[in-house]
Amino acid sequence: MAEKGKMSAEHLGGVVRLREEQEKVVKNCESRIEHWLEVSGDYEALNDRLKTLPDQLSYDIMVPFGPLAFMPGKLVHTNEVTVLLGDNWFTKCSAKQAQKIVDHRLKYVKQELDDLTKTIKNFEARVGFAKDLETMSTGKGDFVDIREEVGNIDASVIKGKQRIAHKPKSKPKLDAVFDLNEEDEESGYGEDKKGILTEEELWARLDELEKLEELQDEQDRLSDTTDMNGEDTSSSSSEEEKEGDPTPPVNGLSLKPSWATMPHSTAPPSTDREEEEDEEEDGNCLPTIYFSHTVEPKKVRINTGKNTTLKFSERKEQKDQKRKKKNGHSNGHSHHELHKITTPADIYRLFVDMKNGEPIPRKSILKSRSRENSVCSDTSESSAADFEERRITGRSFSHDETTHSDTSDGITEEDSPTVVPLHPASRFEAFSGTVVEKDPMPLTVPHLTIAQPALPTILERKQEEVAPEASPPQQPPKRVSKFKAARLQQK
Amino acid sequence: MAEAIQKKLKAELEKYTQMQKDVSKSMSARQKLETQLTENNIVKEEMDLLDSTNTVYKLIGPVLVKQDLEEAKSTVAKRLEYINGEIQRYETLLKDMEKKSEQHREVLSSLQQEFQRAQGLTVGKV
Repeated sequence: MAEKGKMSAEHLGGVVRLREEQEKVVKNCESRIEHWLEVSGDYEALNDRLKTLPDQLSYDIMVPFGPLAFMPGKLVHTNEVTVLLGDNWFTKCSAKQAQKIVDHRLKYVKQELDDLTKTIKNFEARVGFAKDLETMSTGKGDFVDIREEVGNIDASVIKGKQRIAHKPKSKPKLDAVFDLNEEDEESGYGEDKKGILTEEELWARLDELEKLEELQDEQDRLSDTTDMNGEDTSSSSSEEEKEGDPTPPVNGLSLKPSWATMPHSTAPPSTDREEEEDEEEDGNCLPTIYFSHTVEPKKVRINTGKNTTLKFSERKEQKDQKRKKKNGHSNGHSHHELHKITTPADIYRLFVDMKNGEPIPRKSILKSRSRENSVCSDTSESSAADFEERRITGRSFSHDETTHSDTSDGITEEDSPTVVPLHPASRFEAFSGTVVEKDPMPLTVPHLTIAQPALPTILERKQEEVAPEASPPQQPPKRVSKFKAARLQQK
Repeated sequence: MAEAIQKKLKAELEKYTQMQKDVSKSMSARQKLETQLTENNIVKEEMDLLDSTNTVYKLIGPVLVKQDLEEAKSTVAKRLEYINGEIQRYETLLKDMEKKSEQHREVLSSLQQEFQRAQGLTVGKV
């Protein structure tokens, strides 16, 4: 039967066969349990007999004599029993000892029964599972096979890749760094170019500057007296305020009207210059960074305290100068750019641009500025010349400053050839309708700086980096300015 | 082709069946040993229940030979040791036989496939 079952199971499938095998095991266990139950029953009976056997000394019994006959007999030695221990071992023992042995065997039988029942339970559960499997395999049951495509593994791999892709995220940073580096490099290149240019074009520049100076001088002579008076007063007041009071706006308010006529763009740089000069005068060694916000592009000034003041003009200015070379246009652009700055990142970019643009554009700025100035007003040109002269005096100013200041300072320079008068003029410019932000740095002198709120975020290192770069370009104008300054002083 | 393969298959099958028989034999022997082990264990335990006053007999052929209790205990212990050794021996034997049978099964399956292919080819040819 079992074999037949197996055969059929093989034909029907492994599951059926499994189930049948398990059922077979269960049946086998059940039969064995029955056997052991019989044995235990026998032992129970034997135990009873052994209990009662020694009660009497002798029993009259019918002794089986062959398969057919019984003989009357007598059972004596009722307390003597020969027990088969097993494996052909016999022992003669009393009824009580026999009972002990019987109990021992009953224990064994019980153990066997327990084991069998356990196995039966186990296999019955398995049979149930096998039945479920059968129904599942046949698809008749309520069970649904859930399978996931191997594609999931690919997805997981992709996830891993995506995680790796975080590197790309970091890359942008690297890129930014690279950009900075590039910018720095560019700036460096610009400096180099400048250096090269200085050698080649220095003389040409000097010639141009001299021409400009001559023109400016003539203009100054014509216009000196008028502008000088008002500016001087304003400058003196502004200086005093700077030294004593940190609140420049009053001056600015007062000064505004005078400057309103002047191009706004020119105003901020002049203020910066003044501040720098003031700082130098004050002798503050603390590095101070000023950010000036005006209608014009942003300018950042860094005072290293070593008499070297670095100005960072936004690329906007540079671009504007390059592209449009007209103050009005430049102003508009600057405004747009300012509006564009919505996040600190934008500010950062702007500064970076400034870095990039600085070295190269400075020269161009000078040129462009001069051109712009010439276009806009003759005074600006003259002012630029004056600044150059001032630089000659030994104070280092950044080109940007000079350029900016040039436009604004034109009048002041005319008034007073010396450096001092320039400061007031620049301050006046700064006051004109511009918001001044002061750095948290402890500055003895309150500088009138027009700074954008975002600008302060600029890193000092940048400034430092820029500082060396900025210094070289400044020198040439200084040389020029020295002569001029001397001339002015003589005058 | 098919016939040669069939012959091979038959030979392998015979070998395999022989192997299976051996396995089943050793299995049955091992089972006997198992039962003997349990029996002797019981004997040993029940001998521990006896006193020195009890006499122990060993059935040798049709005769009950009187034995000393201690002697009987020692012989039973020896018997147990022997049975345990036999069981281990059969254990290793069974493992080897199972391995061999496994190999035979693989050979058989490969042969069967070849045979089926050959049959398919012949059928295709026909």
